[in-house]
Amino acid sequence: MKVLVTVKEVTAVDDEFEIDGLGIDDRYVTADLNEWDEYAVEEAVQLSESLDDVEVVTVTIGPSDAEETIRQALAKGADRAIRVWDDALDDDAMLDPATKARLLAAVAEQEDPDLILTGVQSADDSLGATGVTLADQLGTEWAAVVNALDLDAQAGVAHVHRELEGGVEELTDVELPAVLTIQTGINDPRYASLRGIRQAQSKELAEKTLADIGLDATALDSPIEQTALYEPESEGGATLYEGTPEETAGELAGLLAERGVGQ
Amino acid sequence: MDFDLTDEQRQVRDEVRRFAENEIKPDATEYDTEEKYPREIVEQAAEIGLTGANIPVEYGGVGYDTLTNAIIAEELFAADPGIGLCIQSTAFGADALVGFGTEEQKEAFLEPVATGDAIMGAAISEPDVGSDVSSVSTRAEKDGDEWVINGNKMWITNGSIGDYFVVLCKTDPEAEGRYNGFSQIVVEADRDGFEADKITGKLGIRASDTAELILDDVRVPEENLVGTRGAGFLQLMQFFDETRTGVAAQAVGIAKGAAERALDYAEDREQFSKPISEFQAIQHKLSEMHTQVEAARMLTYKSAWSVDNEDDQLTMLASMAKEFASRVAVEVADEAVQIHGGAGYVNDFDVERFYRDAKITQIYEGTSEIQKNIIARELLGKGMT
Ligand SMILES: Cc1cc2nc3c(=O)[nH]c(=O)nc-3n(C[C@H](O)[C@H](O)[C@H](O)COP(=O)(O)OP(=O)(O)OC[C@H]3O[C@@H](n4cnc5c(N)ncnc54)[C@H](O)[C@@H]3O)c2cc1C
Repeated sequence: MKVLVTVKEVTAVDDEFEIDGLGIDDRYVTADLNEWDEYAVEEAVQLSESLDDVEVVTVTIGPSDAEETIRQALAKGADRAIRVWDDALDDDAMLDPATKARLLAAVAEQEDPDLILTGVQSADDSLGATGVTLADQLGTEWAAVVNALDLDAQAGVAHVHRELEGGVEELTDVELPAVLTIQTGINDPRYASLRGIRQAQSKELAEKTLADIGLDATALDSPIEQTALYEPESEGGATLYEGTPEETAGELAGLLAERGVGQ
Repeated sequence: MDFDLTDEQRQVRDEVRRFAENEIKPDATEYDTEEKYPREIVEQAAEIGLTGANIPVEYGGVGYDTLTNAIIAEELFAADPGIGLCIQSTAFGADALVGFGTEEQKEAFLEPVATGDAIMGAAISEPDVGSDVSSVSTRAEKDGDEWVINGNKMWITNGSIGDYFVVLCKTDPEAEGRYNGFSQIVVEADRDGFEADKITGKLGIRASDTAELILDDVRVPEENLVGTRGAGFLQLMQFFDETRTGVAAQAVGIAKGAAERALDYAEDREQFSKPISEFQAIQHKLSEMHTQVEAARMLTYKSAWSVDNEDDQLTMLASMAKEFASRVAVEVADEAVQIHGGAGYVNDFDVERFYRDAKITQIYEGTSEIQKNIIARELLGKGMT
């Protein structure tokens, strides 16, 4: 069985920052593996530990700078990694979910995985659409915001819990092959062991161009273009209640009632 | 010349930092105040291989070189020196076994430490023996196929929680020459006649366990002798350069931890309607602190690199690194408290603990005075006397 996990290096921005053109000035950002993807990787690695013959392959779209981040997943137990990049891709340009899904789908068609795990969203763009768009393009089943997974590999069915709004949980069965978008909290992601880090250095990390995955630059055509980046005006206005819980709870309830939030 | 860490070293550093931030930092104050050994954290650290980082791969460890181990020490100590020491000291004394132990000893004593199933220690100091290691008086006498050991060992890290210790004993008092007649013998804590008294009330690194060992007719099999009988002191000396480099790395970590916290606080704290980091007096302190950290790190890295690559130049460098980095740790922690003002004088902020913790690096593994003696001895071309 093969599990493909999509992973992304995301940027975290300092509390204080400056905008530089369409992005954040490099001085204020640090790169890390997307938090949701950490859970997806962990879920895949746990599958490979509990079932026989499971290969875990990660795929990312990103420049060579992202390799150190991508190795984190290898250090935690993924077997090999694929990194898609091409001169036609611009470092700073935004890739919309449909474009990303096109590239990932091309890799999925070559790899032919039984299961694809993605994060629900990425911590920087937070669009939350790549995973489901990928399923749509591949024409497979999918489940979004999965917070529990019980895989019946023999029957080819994933029994999943989906986290819906309002604290509702949906229990559903998804037939493989499928795409599941993984929610944080589904497991407890491990730290990479020193041994794992050592082994990761010799695991395969294949670089693929658009041509390598059977696409050309037209695959990047997108109706969406980023035109500006600005910081929204923020207003102060926090009310701080001090005192015992009994007193402050009453004050808070009063405010909520006054604003029409509570009854 | 290349000052870059390898990709692998950077990945180790980043992952150890993540571990330290999430698992060590949040509980550090509690273990310090209660003088409690952080068993759960040490177990977690063992799971990712931190307790066996310098133990060879054949015996369950990761077999990292001295430089990578220095990087690990720096990150752990920057989060919390006390808990950092607990994690790194589980393998105290292991170097003697790696260097001189038999295959059976390595399997029996190294593997459990690498996997987190055992904790060991090195017992050299005694109530009357500190800087002058050659005056060790703990006596081991041969009786049939056993060693019978009598004496007290003082200030032993992991003393009351450890499973076994490499104990420096006098086996051949009639041997000629100050440095001869000593042997390293492994003593298990569950032997009859072994007693450990925990020492409480330490100034710093209070999470770390320190104890006095009382050895009263303790019998161990003769196979517990490590290496060559009578050559124990010389065996021990072989690893001083490495262990001193390790303490230098601890000191760099403490200095870094204090300097980073001071920077954060200075940007946060406002007086006279602006962050105190706007005052030149504070800016200069921060500049000096961070420069000192970098200088100490470079000296430590060079010493570590020399352990692995160029040991001709090593002895002087290791003592320089240990002496300098520990001084930097004490000075930087001092300035970090100063930058915190009154807030730095209570344990709401970590720098109070770092100020107390820093001092140990000038004392253990050879005091600063002893390091300077060694540097001078090397400079003046004098041999050991
Ligand atoms: C928390 C802690 C943990 C420790 N862990 C261990 C351990 O795991 N195993 C172990 O064996 N030991 C351990 N030690 C002991 C430590 O290594 C000794 O304390 C250290 O070597 C100094 O010895 P001493 O305390 O007897 O001081 P002394 O040797 O009595 O020194 C007192 C002062 O005299 C100075 N001095 C001594 N000789 C000279 C000289 N020739 N020239 C100039 N100045 C000199 C010293 O520098 C110092 O300032 C630990 C100590 C502490 C506090």
